[in-house]
Order: sequence, then C-alpha cells, then structure tokens
Amino acid sequence: MVNAATRSSSANNEPVIVLGIESTAHTFAVGIVSSEPPYILADSRRQYVPKEGGILPREVASFFSQVAGEVVREALHQAGISAGDLSAIAVALGPGMGPALRVGATVARALAHYFHKPLVSVNHAVAHVEIARFLTGLLDPVVLYVSGGNTTVLSFRAGRYRVFGETLDISLGNMLDTFARETGLGPPYVVGGEHVIDRCSRGGEFISGFPYVVKGQDVSYSGLLTAALRAYRKGLEPLKNVCYTLREIGFSSVVEVTERCLAHVGKRQVVLTGGVAANDELNRKLEIMAQVHGARFKRIPKKYAGDNGVMIALTGLLSYMSSYNIIEPHRAFIRQRWRVDRVNIPWYPKTLGRSL
Amino acid sequence: MVSEDPWKKLVDGMIDSVVKLPLIARGAESELHLGAYGGIKAVFKYRRPKPYMDPRLDAMLRRSRTVKEAKVLLHAFSEGVSVPRLLAVYPTLYLLVMEYVEGPRMKEVLEGHVDTSKACSLAKSAAAILAKLHLIGIAHGDPTTSNFIVSPRGLVLIDFGLAEYTSDIEDYAVDIHLFRRASLSTHAAISGILTDCFTRGYREQMGNEADPILRRAEEIELRGRYVEERRTVWGAGR
Repeated sequence: MVNAATRSSSANNEPVIVLGIESTAHTFAVGIVSSEPPYILADSRRQYVPKEGGILPREVASFFSQVAGEVVREALHQAGISAGDLSAIAVALGPGMGPALRVGATVARALAHYFHKPLVSVNHAVAHVEIARFLTGLLDPVVLYVSGGNTTVLSFRAGRYRVFGETLDISLGNMLDTFARETGLGPPYVVGGEHVIDRCSRGGEFISGFPYVVKGQDVSYSGLLTAALRAYRKGLEPLKNVCYTLREIGFSSVVEVTERCLAHVGKRQVVLTGGVAANDELNRKLEIMAQVHGARFKRIPKKYAGDNGVMIALTGLLSYMSSYNIIEPHRAFIRQRWRVDRVNIPWYPKTLGRSL
Repeated sequence: MVSEDPWKKLVDGMIDSVVKLPLIARGAESELHLGAYGGIKAVFKYRRPKPYMDPRLDAMLRRSRTVKEAKVLLHAFSEGVSVPRLLAVYPTLYLLVMEYVEGPRMKEVLEGHVDTSKACSLAKSAAAILAKLHLIGIAHGDPTTSNFIVSPRGLVLIDFGLAEYTSDIEDYAVDIHLFRRASLSTHAAISGILTDCFTRGYREQMGNEADPILRRAEEIELRGRYVEERRTVWGAGR
C-alpha cells in the first residue's frame, strides 16, 4: 500500500510532505507543508474578484479551472520539489460552494491517482482552526471563526471542535460586505489591507436605535443590516456614523458570545481565525476581552487569516499522520454542508512541530 | 465639573462598597457579591463595564439588561413563580439586589448520591417552575441545572439575565430543549429519568397547552446543530 510505505519512510526521519488544495469559496490555493522545519514550503494562491456585485459560483469555478494548473506548478516550484516527492495530497472537500469545490476535488483526485499518492479529506473550518493553533502556539483555545460565510465560536471537547455559538442568520463578513455593496463603498471590499467599512467608520459616532441581538450564545445580524441600510437611505445620519455603529455592534456582539463561551468552558486561550481575522479592530476587542478574563490572546498573521492552501496542507498532514480521513480518490465526494463538529480530531492537542 | 457631581460621588462610593463584598460567582456578564440589604441577607448582582465596547453601547446594554431582569423578577415573584425576591434595582448603577437563596445548585445535588425518586421530583419541580413562567409570558433563556437552587423552601429559579417577554412558543420550547440538553451533557447517567420527569411535570402544570410546546422542543432537537451537540455526550464514552 502506498499509505503504509509513505508513513514508514517518516519513521526513517524523512519528512512527511503534504500538498493541500483549497477551493471552497473565492480563493484557489495550494500550500505545501513538511513535518520538519521550516514546515511551510509553499503558498500559492489566486483570488477571484468580481468586477461588480457578489460572487457567482459558476464564474468562480470557471476562473479556478483556468488557474488551477499554474497554481499547482507554482507551489511545487516554490517548494523545490516534484510531485513524486510528496507523501500525500490533501483537499478541502467542504463546506463551501459546490461548483468551486468540484474544481479542487477534481485536481486532487487527478494528482492522487496519477502520482499514486494517498488522498486526505480535509474540512475547511477545521483547517482554519489548525492554522491558528499552529501559528499562535495557543494549543487549547476558544476559537472565534469569522469569514464571509461563517460566524462560529468553537472549542475542543470530547474529541471534536464543538459549536458553542453561531450566527442565527447571515455571517459577520457577509453583513459588512453587503452593507458596503448596497452603499457603493465596494467592491472591492478590502483596499490597502483594510476593509472599506473600517475606512468609512473613521471619526464616526455611535448612534442609538440599531438592534443588538445576542440570544444565549448566538448572534443575529440580519436586523442590524436592515436598520443600517434604512438609516443610510433616510440620509439623516452621516455615513461614517452608520458604518461605525454597524461595525461596533457587529464586532461587540460576536466578542460577547466568545466571552460567554470562555466563561462556560473555563479555557485560558482565545484565537481569532477566518477572513475577518485580518481586521485590526476585531483583534483589539478580542484582546481586551481576553485580558479581562486573564486569558491569552495572540493574533494570526493577516496572510493566513483568509482562505489559503497552507492550512489545508497542514491539516491534511496532521490527519495523515493520525491515519484519519485517508480516502480512495473515487470516494472523494464534495460535502457542501460538512459541519465542523462531524470531524474527529485525533491529533489534539498536538500540532505540527510541537510534540508531533 | 463631573468630578464634583455629588450624585456621581455617591454612585461611585456605592459601587466601590458593593465590589468589596465577598464575591460568590462571576459569569461572563456579571458578578455576584454577598452582603446585607435592609437587614436581609442579599446578593448584589453588578454588571461590570465591558472595556471592549463603545461606552455608549456598553451603558445602553447594561442598563437595559438590568432593567429587564428586574422587571421579570418582580413580575414572576408577584405571580407566585419560585424566584428570588427583588429588593432593589439601580439601573444607573447597573446593580440589582436580591434576597440570598440558601442551598446547593440542582447540578451539585444531581452530581452527588441522589436516588431516582429525588432526581425525578427535582426535575418535576423545575418543569413546574418553567411552566408557570411560560404561562405568564416569560422565557428564561438559560434554564440549566446550575440555575436552580435547592433551598429549604423548595426549588428556586435564578439568573434572568437572558430572559425575554415573549408569546412565541419557540422561545418556550427552547427553554425545554436547553434543560434537556443540560441533563444530557451534565447528568448523562440519569438523563432519561430527568427528561421523562421533566416532561411529565411540565404537562401537569401547563395542561393541554403543553403539547405544541413539547412538540416544538422535539423539532428543535432535530435541527442540525443541536443533534450534533447531543452526540457530544454519546461520543464521549467511545
């Protein structure tokens, strides 16, 4: 068996090297990670940016198919290896947009089959958690995962990352982007490393009357978005005040549910991950909250906040070394609604380079 | 000048002395101190500022939550629901004062050596209290076994920080679901008895109106996320 052969070579102190493919949303990315320093050997990516409006899955898939080949080649070139040197191929099979996921799955199946490499199935949300644990060194944290598609508070308990709180409707990133789009502030939504809502919030004042919805450990944003858009259309308040209040309520409520989770599970570490983790203001708020509770907070480099191939390769490597979720290429089906709490985490609380 | 405002001085002095009282519990949004109020042993529930929020948002939230909790406590108590007696509320200080309820939490009692008939009667009393609360249009929002005190005068429901005035049966059903989920996660060995007795107690107190609420609670359990959480418990032993 290919699997057995590869893992026995790792016993001979040869590094295990995994190539990971990400294609769940707007980014097609390939990362290559080794079990030995410097760990991250390659990080290649292309992001689909619509000229106007939102993201259409069909157009994303078409873009991905065009760039897939060059992204894989670029990653192998960066790592200075050939496909034959790899120990395994990892791919994010979900959750995400079907047409986009199919491109990554097809590339992964083809590589695994052609080069006779084991294929490792990776959950995209688990990968966001793993990259944050690996890069911050906070190994047993409460995790706030915020992106264009997700707003979730997670923590490890009884073998898996459990959902302690989440949005009841739209995600935080979606709310910010939608407001920007409806008010003509975007797209693009991120300019010079800063979200257009942050730029717009500068010098803004808090205005009352917007709903702040925290129900138990969950948040809800659709009412807030509607109220902000209504205030903008009435035109009685300067836009900067509307932006500031929208952001203040959006961020504060998600930090508050993270705080509740921290008090409930009694852990001492907090990390932030996902596309919105690049946001300075959200990092600042979480850091203050962690301080109040005597917990440690470390931010992850902006580069690895959003979707990337390195996190898929890293998680694939951890999974592969735990002999978990290694699948036959013909069984590599995409899973659009693959919930994070359906995945076992047998390597926890280890990570790469720390007692693995 | 604000610093010379005698009211502010009074207010600051009051909070200073409250937070010096012995701390008996700290949650995510408040702290409980033990003291006396008008000769009665009392709990001071103080909502501290959240330094990560805009001060205007923070003040608005702390004030509205303090006021709502006071209203709910007062209303529930006057309708004969077993809750602590409210002694005072200071919305501008974000402070509630309640009678101290003596006794262990239901969670602690269930974790100790408890026979099935005692566990069953506790679950039935908890259900009866929740049913009474629902009948007057209030959902508790967090009715776990940590929030029931086993006191000499019977079971008492505490912590109304997440309570809501509501006529939506979904909110009542969530209460029932939360109690069941807490039974499963915290008291797995006797969870069957707890949930059966809870359901019986709820129906006895509420009558026919209980059925649509109990049905909705079943539906909530089948919604993805909660089914997964239930597996947490079943998966734990494997």
